[in-house]
Parts: sequence; structure tokens; C-alpha cells
Amino acid sequence: MDPVISVSSVYKHFGPTCAVKGLSFSVPASLCFGLLGPNGAGKTTMMKMVYGVSQRSAHPPGAISVFGFDPQHQSLAIKFISGVVPQENNLDEELNVEENLRVYARFYNLPSKTAAARIKELLEFMELTGKRRSGIRELSGGMKRRLTIARALLNNPRLLILDEPTTGLDPQVRHLIWEKLRNLKRQGMTILLTTHYMEEAFHICESIVIMNKGEKIVEGHPHELVGAAIEPFVLEVTKPEAFSAVSSSLPPSARVERSNDIARIYSSDRTALQELSNRLNAGEYYFRQSNLEDLFLKVTGSTLNAQQ
Amino acid sequence: MRNSEKTLFPPLAVRLYGVWFRHFRVYTKNLISNGLPPFLEPLIFLAGIGLGMSRYIDTMAGMPYITFLATGLPITAAMFTAAFECSYGTYIRLEFDHVYEGMLAAPVGVHDLLIGEIIWAGTKGFFFSLAVIIVVGAFGLIPFPWSLTTPLIGFLTGVMFAALSMLITSIVKNINQFNFYFTGFLSPMFFFSGVIFPLENLPAFLRPFAELFPLTHAVRLCRAGDFAQFHPSLLIDLLFIALFTAVAGWLGIMRLKKKLIR
Repeated sequence: MDPVISVSSVYKHFGPTCAVKGLSFSVPASLCFGLLGPNGAGKTTMMKMVYGVSQRSAHPPGAISVFGFDPQHQSLAIKFISGVVPQENNLDEELNVEENLRVYARFYNLPSKTAAARIKELLEFMELTGKRRSGIRELSGGMKRRLTIARALLNNPRLLILDEPTTGLDPQVRHLIWEKLRNLKRQGMTILLTTHYMEEAFHICESIVIMNKGEKIVEGHPHELVGAAIEPFVLEVTKPEAFSAVSSSLPPSARVERSNDIARIYSSDRTALQELSNRLNAGEYYFRQSNLEDLFLKVTGSTLNAQQ
Repeated sequence: MRNSEKTLFPPLAVRLYGVWFRHFRVYTKNLISNGLPPFLEPLIFLAGIGLGMSRYIDTMAGMPYITFLATGLPITAAMFTAAFECSYGTYIRLEFDHVYEGMLAAPVGVHDLLIGEIIWAGTKGFFFSLAVIIVVGAFGLIPFPWSLTTPLIGFLTGVMFAALSMLITSIVKNINQFNFYFTGFLSPMFFFSGVIFPLENLPAFLRPFAELFPLTHAVRLCRAGDFAQFHPSLLIDLLFIALFTAVAGWLGIMRLKKKLIR
């Protein structure tokens, strides 16, 4: 089956700065694909080029195809069969919850009866039924986000594009949104999302591209990437003086990354790291499994949050 | 996988209607505060200027002065409402509320968005001029039924000033700069486009300048309709309005497009 989205060597320049540098990836049908990276990595720009609100640079030439359509010229066709959740909620504050959806349903030419039924269903799905007459300003951040997602789902899209779906939301709301997205995926929807939360990618994406400064760094299944490209365990030593105390007796296989005051000791030898941790005081270390964040640190030499 | 594109998204009329419907919904949400002033304004104007001034000015251009005013007023009402809608209104939707960004995530293009909005401003021009003729008509100040042509001219006026205001919106650096547009252009036009006194009363050397004002042509069409005095020269006024709208609208849309699609 053809991929739903295919992007090949796409560039985007804003004046002298290059936001996206020769990015290529493809998104197969019915799975969740994540573009991962720190702020300023070019994720949002890439997303906007996928649905045609930003235009890729003509030179060097690249190509984007979404369901066989080129967003440069056929963005309306793409947006008709895709739902878009932009980074900013940009709901219409002059209208209430239900009216926001009703006005939007017009854009898809939904007959009013169909629209009414669909709106009812979506408000239920997003757990907003009780808020249907509320003004947008009365909603919490999580409710606004859910409404924006509901808005994107009005036309039963085959592809859902989400730009940082859970940024700035509390963990509970985040889990609720992830559950909804997994639910949609089970129904066969293809999902493309951006995030700078490694945890988010880990929870819902089958495939990810890690970006940094407009370029692709690694690509693959999040669990496999962590398994293959990085040592499975890490001992984080949070105080520099504590690290100096143990630095002479590191296990031979260990690899150390230092950023700010934190030293991260990576190794596949769990026991060796645990023994090392025994020599540290409580509160000076944190022993855990490696995750995508560590992978990002390994390939870029900087932490995800350092660039925010 | 390439499909015939036309069947895959709503046609132009539906897209424009979608945008229009959004503005209609927002406007009619506060029916009293939005719907009443268009009727109050002409009342206040007639009471203040019409009744007071008529004691000193009896006739103007061969008709009672109050009738002269009443046949120009609907057009300035249409001008101001469209100008506000597509200057402050458009700017706020563009820069502060990010309403356009939201709408562009739907199958709507920048052209649909802005043209739909211009048509909505025309609709407001229609409604505002209709409100004025209802009020002045109730006082028997304008000829009936020919004055029913006025809202149509109000629509054209609204569309024309919406297009111009969008061009201005694409140029201003911040919202305060609209002051120049309103006090520097629209207000003078109100006085020198044949609404308050006939252009024939202007010094000869100023008359050609008055012909450059878009409002002049709209007022002329409106009065011609009111008195059913149709003359071939009115085609020039229509042509002026059409060209002015097309050029200002095209430039405005092109410039705003650069702000919306980067």
C-alpha cells in the first residue's frame, strides 16, 4: 500500500535561516508517526508544509505527497480528508463550544443534520458534552485542546495532523488525550504528530523521526531505537562533587555524558551501575532505564530542554 | 491514487458561504448591541443635524435639505461599517485572535477567507443602508419605492470599502495606524463626496479631486436610484467602483496572503 504521506528532501528557508534541511520520511497508513525534537528543530514548519499553510522552498527541489496530492497546489483536497490540530488552539472566542464546531462543519459542507449528530458524538467522545454551551474563555487548557481535536475530527478524517497535542497540559489530561489518539488509531486513522516530549512519542508512536536544527538524526520504532542505539541503563549523578568521588571507578563499559551539573553514566551492566550507586548518598543520584531523551543526548550532544 | 480533485473538496460557493456564515454567526450572536445602533444612528443624525440645520438651509440641489442628507446617509453608513469590519476587525482576527489560522486548518484557502469576508462586509453595507432607509423612510423623507435600490448600492459600497480597508490592513504596522485611514481619508470623504452638499458647490479646481473619492460615485448612484434619474454617465460611476474594488481587493489579498502563508 502507498504511504499516506511521503516527504522527500524538503527544504525550507526563512531568509538566511534554514528551518528544514533536506528532510525525508514517509508515513504508512493506520499508524502513528511522530516528529520529535526540541523547539526550533523545524517540526512545526514541516507540519505546515504537509497541509499547505507553509510552502516548501523551491531550491533545492523537494517533494511532498499526501494521499497523492501535492500540498503546494492541492492543499484544499488534503485538508478536506485530513484533520489539522495546530499548535495554537486558535478557537473562535466569539463563539461557544458547539458553535465553534457548527461553523467549522460548514467548511466541510456537512448537511446540518449530519453535522448536529457528528458534533454530539464528538463532544461525547472528547468528554465535553457538559460544556457545549460554554464560552471558549471559560474552558481550561485541556478542554480547549480537546475541542480543537474534536474540530479536526468533524469530517471523519483519514489522516490526523497534530502539532504538539499535549504541550503545556498536566499529566492527567495528557494521558486522556493519548488514550483518545490510541482509540482513533484503532479505528484505522493515520496520525502524524510533533512533540518534544520523548514520553509522548514512546506512548503512542509506532515510528518516529528525531529532528535537530532542521535535520533528521535518527528514524525508527521508538522502543527499538532505544534498544539498539543506546545502553539500556543510566545512572544520573546530580551533583558534580558526587561524580568526582566515583569517576575514578567507573565500569569499563560505561559512557559518560555531562550537561550542566548532571553527569549521566550509561552502561548495559546493570549490576555495575548499581554498585556504583551504593557509594553515593540518597538524593545525589537517580537510577533508571534509558529513554529517547538519552538517545537524543547521545546523537546531538545536547539535552532536549537545553534549546528551549 | 491521483483522484479528480474537483469532487474532493467543497466548491467555491460553499467555501465562501462557510466564511460568510462564521461572520454572520458572530454578528447575530449579540443581536441587540449589533442590530440596534444602525437604526439609532440615523435617528440621532436626523435629529441633530437635519432638524437643527434645516432651519438655516431650506433646500439643497433642488430638494429639502433633510431629503438631500437622507439620500446620502445610507451610503456613508455602509462605508463606515465595512471599513471598520475590514480594518480593525480583520486586523484583530489576523494578529490577535488568530481566527484565520484556525480557519485555514479547514479546507478553506486564503482567497476564500478574504473574499468571503469582503462579501460579508458588503452584506453589512446592505443591512446598514437598509436600516437608514427604514428610519428616514418612516419619516417620509425619501421617495418610495425607488429608494429600495439604496441597499443594493449599500452592498457595492460595503464591498468596495472592505477591499480598500483590507489593503490598508495589509500595510499598517500596528493597529493605531488605522487612525490615519479614518481621520485622514474616510472623514474628509464624508464631507467632500456630495453627502453634505452637492459637489457643484466646490471650487472648480477641487471638483476633479472629489471625483477620485470612491464614495462620490456610490453617493451619485444612490441618489440616481432614489429619484429614478438614470443617465448613461452612471455607468462610469459603476465602472469606477468595479475597478477600484478589483484593484484594491487584489492588492490587499496578495499582501495579506504573504502574512498567512509563509
